Amino acid sequence: MAPAADSTVYSDTCESTFSMSTTQALSFADVELQAELDRCSDDDLDKLDFGVIAIDADGVVRRYNSFESKAAGLSPLRVLGQPLFTVVAPCMNNFMVAQRFDDALAQGSTLDTSIDYVLTLRMRPVKVRLRLLAVPGAASRYVLVQRPA
Amino acid sequence: MDAAESEEYEALIQFLYIAPIGLLQARMDGEILMVNPLCAQLLMPLSRDGGLSNLFTALEGVAPDLRGRVQAFEGTHGMVCESWQLRVAADPAHRQGRRILALTVLKLDEQRLMAVLGDVTQSVQRERELRQSQAWINTIVTGLTDYALLTLDDRGSARDWNASVERVTGRDSAATVGQPYSVFYPADALDANGALDRLYEADRSGWSLDEGWRQRADGSRFWGSCLIAPLHAADEVQPEDRAYSLVIRDVSERREATEALRRSVACDHLTGLANRRALFEACELELQRWRRAPRPLSLVLIDADHFKRINDNFGHATGDAVLRHLAAGLSATFRAMDVVARLGGEEFVVLLPGCDMDAASAVAQRLCESIAGQTMDVDGTRLGYTVSVGVAGMDADVAGVDALIERADLAMYAAKTAGRNRVARWQPGLRPAAVGVAAVAAAA
Repeated sequence: MAPAADSTVYSDTCESTFSMSTTQALSFADVELQAELDRCSDDDLDKLDFGVIAIDADGVVRRYNSFESKAAGLSPLRVLGQPLFTVVAPCMNNFMVAQRFDDALAQGSTLDTSIDYVLTLRMRPVKVRLRLLAVPGAASRYVLVQRPA
Repeated sequence: MDAAESEEYEALIQFLYIAPIGLLQARMDGEILMVNPLCAQLLMPLSRDGGLSNLFTALEGVAPDLRGRVQAFEGTHGMVCESWQLRVAADPAHRQGRRILALTVLKLDEQRLMAVLGDVTQSVQRERELRQSQAWINTIVTGLTDYALLTLDDRGSARDWNASVERVTGRDSAATVGQPYSVFYPADALDANGALDRLYEADRSGWSLDEGWRQRADGSRFWGSCLIAPLHAADEVQPEDRAYSLVIRDVSERREATEALRRSVACDHLTGLANRRALFEACELELQRWRRAPRPLSLVLIDADHFKRINDNFGHATGDAVLRHLAAGLSATFRAMDVVARLGGEEFVVLLPGCDMDAASAVAQRLCESIAGQTMDVDGTRLGYTVSVGVAGMDADVAGVDALIERADLAMYAAKTAGRNRVARWQPGLRPAAVGVAAVAAAA
């Protein structure tokens, strides 16, 4: 992985408001990303240049940032409070995503994995990189979505 | 786009996101233009390059000829393939078992293809299991020579026919389909009500089994068991959805053994007729049926006249010969479905399902005249005897088997007091025997 390079390239191609934001230090590949995301306000999340979906212990969507909302074409209102893997994104309900969260929960282990994936954002197949984050006992678990440059 | 439009657009997007069937649009060269999440999820594990840009590439491993099919398709639009079953090998690394996908591809116009993809693993599995059990049943049906297996409709008529039916009963398709299953019984062994009773009993207890004489198409008989079991759910009310399976088994070779056992338990040792116990069992069953669906049911009680005098004058051996002679006369007179029993001493009872008192009295009259018209030859002695018969019919005032027999008994004593060698019917007001005898004595 080349985290710094990826996010830099991405920021450059993105709208200028993103690169000027106070959270520009936060990037998709940061090592301590889970703790940093937990500290972010909703506004902070909305300034990020990658998608953030936070789910609780039951898999219900609790946070949904603006980047992800635009990419998927769904407003947060349609998504917040809904179970992610059955109602919002059944395409992630498989061994690659949902199963990994389940396994980490069952084993009480930390999950931090990045995988290549294809999402069908607005019905178009889009190659993305997913990062799955879960820490035992934490309120939020995260699915992060980075679109390629 | 105004707010309402974007709201609608969003709802539409979400509808496609969560649609439980895979939908896809591609260019004629297979390049994917639009794909919903489920379709992507089904295609991704198949895709060898891990991407999802081309439908033909993604399906290369399971439908290699799809590209060719699309190219060869001549019309401007139409179905390229419909519900193709694609077999996907198990993928242990990804915890996926063997799967079967159904693929339909539609050519929309010269530029676009539409594909529908679904996971049909479970329904295919179910179909296969169904076919397997069908094959299994066919094997049984064709492999065993002494079974006939067929389906009955809700009224007990044969719905189908197969070779096993012909083998066991000699009946061809035309002589079977649409016929009530009583055609497998001797002519007078099972009437319409009796046939329905067995269906009802199968509904209630899960099956109904009876063993006895069955009849082949050529009129010959064999000893067979008939098992009826419902095929429908217990609460099924639609007549067309109610059906039964009937298994007829030729158990002729077993007959000797079972008959011996049955006789020892249910038959009177002297006459071979049903004994008291078998009579009461049969009566209880018939009364249950009557209570569920009242229909004509009669009971006839026969008593040999002056039997004590025959015993005293000719000896007990002759008395026994008379009883056997009378038993044979009863068997010859009544139908196979009637229950002919020796109640005890010189008293006999016949239960006649489906017969009202008129019909029962007519048969009883025939018996009476037949017996009176015969003479027996007992060790060179010519001997004649007569019988008195009482007839009673089942109705709502009859509490049970005992009460029904008592009515017939009262009628039989009325026949005795009226001069013997005759038939009397029960009627309200008939007094118990002792009173009747006293009245006769007083009159004499």
